Amino acid sequence: MLISYNWLKNYVNLPASISAREVADKLMASTVEVEGLQDQGELLQNIVVGKVVSAEKHPNADKLKLCKVDIGNEELQIVCGGSNVGEGMLVAVGKIGAKVQWHGEGELVELKPTKIRGEESFGMICASTEIGLGELFPIKDEKEILDLTDKNFQVGMPLAQALGLNDVVIEIDNKSLSHRGDLWGHYGMAREVAVLYNRDLNKYETKKINAGKDFKLKVEVKDAKLCPRYMAVAVGGIKVGPSPIWLQEKLMALGHHPINNIVDITNYVMLDLGQPLHAFDAIKVEEKIIVRNALKGETLVALDKNEYKLNESDLVIADNKKALAIAGVMGGMESAISDSTTTIIFESANFDAVSVRKTSTHLNLRSDSSMRFEKSLDPNTCEVALQKAVELVLQCCPDAKVVSKVMDEKKFSLAVGPIEMPANIFEKKLGVQIPQKDILNILNKLGFEVKAKKEKLLVTIPTWRATKDISIAEDVVEEVARFFGFDNIPSVLPWMPINPPQKNALRNLERIVSETFVKELGYNEVYNYSFVSEDQIVKMQDDLSKYIELENPLSKERPYLRRNLLPNLLENVKNNIENYPEVKIFEIGKVFSIHENGVRADLNGDGLLPRQDTWLATAFVCKKDNAPYWQVRRALETVFGVLNEQFEIVVADVVKSWEHPTRLALVSVFGKTVGVICEINPTVSESLGVEQRVGVLQLNLSELSALLENKNFVSNYQPASIYPEVVRDLAFLVKKEVEHKEILVSLLKSATLLVKAELFDIYEGNNIGEGYKSMAYRLTYADPKRTLTTAEVDSSLEKAQKELKKEFGAEIR
Amino acid sequence: MQSKLEQLKSEALLALKSVKDKMQLEELENKLLGRKNGELTNIMKGLKDLADDARKVAGQIANEVKIEIESALQSKKQELSQADWSSVLEKERIDISQPALPKTERGHFHPNTIIQTDLEDLFTSMGFMVLDGPELESDYYNFTAVNIPTTHPARDMQDTFYIKNHDVGTDSPWVMRTQTSSVQVRAMQKYGAPLRAIVPGKCYRNEGTDVRHEHTFYQLEGFVIDENITFAHMKGVMESVVEHLFGEETKLKLRPKFYPFVEPGVNGEVTCFLCKGKGCRVCKNTGWLEIIGAGMIHPNVLREGKIDPNKYQGFAFGFGLTRLVMLKYGIEDIRHLESGDLKFLKQF
Repeated sequence: MLISYNWLKNYVNLPASISAREVADKLMASTVEVEGLQDQGELLQNIVVGKVVSAEKHPNADKLKLCKVDIGNEELQIVCGGSNVGEGMLVAVGKIGAKVQWHGEGELVELKPTKIRGEESFGMICASTEIGLGELFPIKDEKEILDLTDKNFQVGMPLAQALGLNDVVIEIDNKSLSHRGDLWGHYGMAREVAVLYNRDLNKYETKKINAGKDFKLKVEVKDAKLCPRYMAVAVGGIKVGPSPIWLQEKLMALGHHPINNIVDITNYVMLDLGQPLHAFDAIKVEEKIIVRNALKGETLVALDKNEYKLNESDLVIADNKKALAIAGVMGGMESAISDSTTTIIFESANFDAVSVRKTSTHLNLRSDSSMRFEKSLDPNTCEVALQKAVELVLQCCPDAKVVSKVMDEKKFSLAVGPIEMPANIFEKKLGVQIPQKDILNILNKLGFEVKAKKEKLLVTIPTWRATKDISIAEDVVEEVARFFGFDNIPSVLPWMPINPPQKNALRNLERIVSETFVKELGYNEVYNYSFVSEDQIVKMQDDLSKYIELENPLSKERPYLRRNLLPNLLENVKNNIENYPEVKIFEIGKVFSIHENGVRADLNGDGLLPRQDTWLATAFVCKKDNAPYWQVRRALETVFGVLNEQFEIVVADVVKSWEHPTRLALVSVFGKTVGVICEINPTVSESLGVEQRVGVLQLNLSELSALLENKNFVSNYQPASIYPEVVRDLAFLVKKEVEHKEILVSLLKSATLLVKAELFDIYEGNNIGEGYKSMAYRLTYADPKRTLTTAEVDSSLEKAQKELKKEFGAEIR
Repeated sequence: MQSKLEQLKSEALLALKSVKDKMQLEELENKLLGRKNGELTNIMKGLKDLADDARKVAGQIANEVKIEIESALQSKKQELSQADWSSVLEKERIDISQPALPKTERGHFHPNTIIQTDLEDLFTSMGFMVLDGPELESDYYNFTAVNIPTTHPARDMQDTFYIKNHDVGTDSPWVMRTQTSSVQVRAMQKYGAPLRAIVPGKCYRNEGTDVRHEHTFYQLEGFVIDENITFAHMKGVMESVVEHLFGEETKLKLRPKFYPFVEPGVNGEVTCFLCKGKGCRVCKNTGWLEIIGAGMIHPNVLREGKIDPNKYQGFAFGFGLTRLVMLKYGIEDIRHLESGDLKFLKQF
């Protein structure tokens, strides 16, 4: 919203020494967010009103004209390309030193004497867009210069002065006003300024309306909840025409294009008091005004010339036959003020905020009016606003006369309190003592009535703050705090017992795991969206019905919630593998399960949200590696090594569509499956656009952290044996199908002296028979009580060899 | 005997002087001290034939001579060895400007993780718990419980992702949480007061993406509740945090801002860490960066959390983690963060 500094000063007496910037800064610290300041004069420096004395064709250019322009004290030669420039025209002349924006775009450029196609030019005849007046004077054609002929300005006068643009406009972020319906007009904002400078706010003066009786005005409100107040009055003897200059200037200063006196008055009152008004052409209103819900299928052509389809929850202003306006949003074309209007009906009403917002949202139609009604306005303002509008009409149209009674349908009550609160609540909540007289001064100036009663205060809320904004003691504390100044409240660290915070086991595990992948294994952490596309799911050969779907996805592209981290991780692989010979990435994040229940949806009900476990997923791809399973296995071993925990590998009895069926294993801890390592089935990775083999690890960190958290600590420490260990290597050939696990069992049962058997080499290749592999184990023998003899180690080894021959047909090498 | 020893000593030391290499030194050592025929060895062997008294005197001298010769041999040995090595070491000169090969690739944390971890550690050191809650959240915890009534614009379909079959108007509306504040009331119900906790986490808004906007982003929420927690305490904690983030000279400025779940509500700005408040591109020439929303927890929120607002009060605050990350590293486009692009990620 734009606030005119001059306008504000009508209501608060501020000394000239106080600048608009200073006021804006104070408002920023205590009330609203100021987005910027526009000093109108500043933009128009060195730009004056000029009269084109002659406009000849440029000797060397077809589309340019050589003009002589009178700017009061001198005559300038200016080369001009304006399509509409002509002799006798009043124009905006940028003198040497003026700053303009070429074609309304880019940086400001300072004008200098120049030669254009060989002719000297001392300035510029400006288009409205080149001097920041594009909104006030919209251009129809790119080459059109600003034509001021009908304004009759004095030649040579600075343009800012001629247009009355000597104001500073304070630009306020609408979002910062969303809870403050009272600040959507200058008078409300002036009240805040008055408190900030500890001055009195001038009384808002209006005259009572002298009712007429020639016009029978009838108003019927069907639902007082949706329209708590509807005031209307008819004024006759209207002559529609341009508003007086002062009014036009005020509107233009705030970016409103003047339309005609009646419309301008309604806009002026809205900007002044924050109360939107509407004016109907009385001749178009049949019999009476009815405030009702729209009928099914009802349509209305609004003032913006668009036809709107209304639904039954929309509120309209209607007459006996038809809808005239969308209540609180926009008037209708048919009943609009036209040049031939002679009698008008002013509407000053109050509409339900939620209803207006819903209507404006579903029609996708926002207006100055709907923006204000959405904020919950004070129905009491209707009366002064109507009085002000009538007063202005009588002032602008000499023949105008109120011709009806003042209609006032109202049914509302506001919760103005009083709120009872302990007198010391301000110190209790803010942590600083504020003198009571300062508290009372702030509250009184804001319009609160405060009665002190022993240790208590009884605070009555002003009606304009009671609509939504203020209802409890804490709200009143905020009022005092923001005017006392947040800067004046000290910074103090709280005193609390030093009890250590409860640990977050999952978060700790997430940290250990991600640190291991980054620091030990050289993986890179990625973050992905939680959403996946149908295409991704189909390519994973997964089932769409297993996915939770968004009701209103941002794009139709990714409407599903991921149920595992792989689809997006594989997309990352695809996008990176072109640039790197090796991609090692991981993500930790939540996944969403449609068929399993998670935490409660509320405190009392039985509703449960879908389960949302935190998973780790990693992907390893290397252009030279055709069996990345082993890199994944290595990563798994490293992680559990860092955690100092054991895991078991279990055969998966179900193979998921994206899993390589013979390079797949489940990871189990304490007998519970917590993850899976596998290669991606090449048919899936190929359809996802990845030619290389992809190895992936997935761990359910939520489950794993719960398992580890519940585990009792056990120390496995044993003093190192003082007797030497004997190490022997054993290599043999076996059939390819023989598994390490079986060999290990066989080896360990063969001798009590064997304490460790480690596989250290596997070989398959040329000099070994087809279907065979060579396995090499390092065997460690020891006895904690004595030194072993060579003979007993030899015999133990021999026994192991025999056993391997017998069980697996092993051929010792 | 005595003179024989003296003579041997002086001859030996003289001979040592002319030794040029290890071979000669070994020869000399052998000649003097060799077990079988060393000159000194022989002399010492002859000691046993002397009378007791004479043997005592001569033995002592012989020992002294032996020690002297041995030490002279030793220092000559060192001298020669040093000379040998110095030429070898010179030949071993390496290019110290060269990096270790082959290069080992280190991994990289996502920048958000770096900032989040840092803040978690800070808050944990001040006694805050680190909590999280569901990302697919009930409309109740995301909105109603934190005093955002059904009519609030934040609930509009334009801003919030709703879940199919659980959209607005159904019995159990579900949303993708729009803010980490959704965990406030869960935490209050679970832990009661007093309470000190932070909630870092992923949030979602139904918002078109561009350079500055993302439908997915991260927040860090925090709250402190006890009997006498005041606005002044909120300022104190906020100041500690921004000083930790941006340096000790950082200033904090609070402005009023409306959030339904706090009263009073504030917006915290800090002096721009880049230009120190002078004004630059990052702070859009204001000298200030808006980074926190905060306020005293609204009594309605405490009540929903089953905490008595007449006994307890507290403050809550929220940082845009994503925004902090972008500010800290000067990231120009928010979309990089969820791009999975290693060219981006490997820089952190």
